[in-house]
Amino acid sequence: MKLNKSAIVYSAVIALLLTACSSSSEDSASDSFPTEDLTLNISWWGEQEAPGAQKWLEESIALYQEKHPNVTINHTLQTTDGLLPAFEAAAAAQAGPDIQYFWGAIYSQQPGWDGHIVPISDYISKDELSNYINAEVESGFQGKIWTAPWYVNPSFPLLVRKDILAANGLAVPSTWNDLMKVCDVLSAKKITTLAGGVKDGWFGGWIYSVLGGQSLDSQADVIDAVVGNSKFTDPKHAEWWSKLEESRDRKCWNNDINSLELYQAQQRFVDGKAAMTFTAGPDAPNFVKKAGGDEKVTIIAMPAWTDGPLAGKMGTTSHTFGITKWSKYPQVAADFIKFTHTTERLNAWYATTGSMPADSRFDVSQVTSASTKALFESALNGAPYIESFIPAQLDADAIFKNVQLLLAGKVNATQAAADTQAIMERLRISDRKLVENFTAWSK
Amino acid sequence: MTSLLRPKLSGGNSNRRSALPSREALYWIAPACAVIIFIFGYSIVNLITQSLRYDGDWVGFENFSIVISDPLFLVALRHNLFLLSAVPILVLIAFILAITLFETRRGMRFYRSAVFLPYILPIPVVAVIFGQIYQLNGVLNTFLSSIGLDFLIQDWLGDPDIALGTMGSVIIWKEVGFGVILMLAHLISLPTETYEAAKLDGAGFWRTHFVITRPAIKSTLIFYAVIESITMVSWVFNYVYVMSNGLGGPGNATMVSELYIYRMAFQNNAPELAAAASVFLFAITLILLVAFFKIQRRSISKTFRS
Repeated sequence: MKLNKSAIVYSAVIALLLTACSSSSEDSASDSFPTEDLTLNISWWGEQEAPGAQKWLEESIALYQEKHPNVTINHTLQTTDGLLPAFEAAAAAQAGPDIQYFWGAIYSQQPGWDGHIVPISDYISKDELSNYINAEVESGFQGKIWTAPWYVNPSFPLLVRKDILAANGLAVPSTWNDLMKVCDVLSAKKITTLAGGVKDGWFGGWIYSVLGGQSLDSQADVIDAVVGNSKFTDPKHAEWWSKLEESRDRKCWNNDINSLELYQAQQRFVDGKAAMTFTAGPDAPNFVKKAGGDEKVTIIAMPAWTDGPLAGKMGTTSHTFGITKWSKYPQVAADFIKFTHTTERLNAWYATTGSMPADSRFDVSQVTSASTKALFESALNGAPYIESFIPAQLDADAIFKNVQLLLAGKVNATQAAADTQAIMERLRISDRKLVENFTAWSK
Repeated sequence: MTSLLRPKLSGGNSNRRSALPSREALYWIAPACAVIIFIFGYSIVNLITQSLRYDGDWVGFENFSIVISDPLFLVALRHNLFLLSAVPILVLIAFILAITLFETRRGMRFYRSAVFLPYILPIPVVAVIFGQIYQLNGVLNTFLSSIGLDFLIQDWLGDPDIALGTMGSVIIWKEVGFGVILMLAHLISLPTETYEAAKLDGAGFWRTHFVITRPAIKSTLIFYAVIESITMVSWVFNYVYVMSNGLGGPGNATMVSELYIYRMAFQNNAPELAAAASVFLFAITLILLVAFFKIQRRSISKTFRS
């Protein structure tokens, strides 16, 4: 009996110790919060698609520094083309920012696979992270979560000028065939239906997602094609090219799409020279405002050309913050990231940028604009953003390239699909860890 | 005539010894040599080592094999070769402009500055401006349309069939000023008696410059051709990066080897493949340099023999 009592006491002590050791990482982070003066550097992107992000970030830094006077935070806004190269250079030198901005999915997975970042789930509790939209789907890897979602990018809304359509006796298209009919009518009157610019490539990836995602069942289909279980020439993966070809032949796009950059083309929509365009989700509410508000503009998902489970749905991806491997104060970096998810900061994000913070605790009822509310709700129930589930190199070397060539009339849909498959096969040779990493990711 | 142009060089074996630097000279150049060896030597050794490894492990020539079998790298090299083929055009334009300016009596300073101006403009500025000019609805096509030349309108940078040629024209426009200044400097230093004699003999403009000027400034022509060849092989990154937004597009129409290396290293996270491609590019540039020195040496000895 005595022995049993001792055993119970010992067990209780051990259990207590174990509980203490395995308590949430956020607790351990706060216990060991450094007291010496320290500096954190943030390298980020986002002002380009969520104007006001810089103001919000500076405000957040100021508030955090007020709370922690020993912490100084500097930030550097990167250009769109410079974001990845700047990080790669920092990674090669194993020096640079403590907090790095990453786009979702593959863009936050790859630096984790390469050992350039530490899992955010080592510093922020799973409970807290469960509120961060898309954290598990996009940043999850074998039980860990690499990066913390910051804001949601509903991807990619089609902005439609109701005024231009109405002036030409047209209604907002709800199916692919409706959209093609709009193209026929407007092109006959020399009005651009869809404004786009593919010179800088990015828009090609958007087109892939809004068209190519429609015939898939989930992101697992894309990963299957990446690792070689299926092919990018299979109808499921290739049919969207023929839809893009059809849109080209029906003169849906502006004729100078290959010599314009993405943002230059979007301006055509604001100027009333095009009936529709795509934009980054966070920027969509601003575009609606600039183009005349909800009376003139509506936001829809790309009209469906098939009846797959993802067809007609808006994609959703979250842009994220990660902590670099070389950061001396990862726990402080994590604490700052967590601070940006406090209710006050979430509301401030929406108030400053008009876009949606990547946190399910954000109260959508404060959104007054009907189009913005619809956008946010569609993102909450959105489809996976498939561009982010293929290797970034395949995106640039095959998707960007073939969208440019197809829209320039230099290749057809079959050739574009075949080239994409050929480049994927090539990538499996040149990136010797690709199959292993993607296979692990899919589990 | 040749005596006037003859360089003060000695030939033959007996003089080869005097061509070797003296011990004192070696002392003087030693610090510079040490810096060069440290900076370039270290980088090259590091580059080659990296090209033979993957993820820290020795893989022999595997990276070279991957790079050389990559169709994109071969496309990039082919485009560099295409740009290389523009060098004779570049040299010819620079030569014609230089002799025209040489013959121009009034306003030479102004014209010289005007020709040289593009060379001193920063490449990104030039590339951005030409990127705008060459848009389908840009200034050039608007101008062509306004003077009734609609049939010449092209999507200069958006059409994969002509984008590289368009880019080549920008490079020529920018680089030609350097050649003009080099050649003019040499032309001005030539003795005037030769030209006066040619004029008395009744030689015309083209004959004078083909028979007298061309051989007289041959060393400058070769120097310029080699510098521009190296530029076309390994120094066009800025143009391509800015004008194609770092993609080498449309399609792969403007992909060049430097951009391939950059993308491998900084976008595709494959530094070892970038290193292997860099070794290839370094070797090609080295071949061009060796060829230059051989041609220069042969040219000098020919001049001496004649």
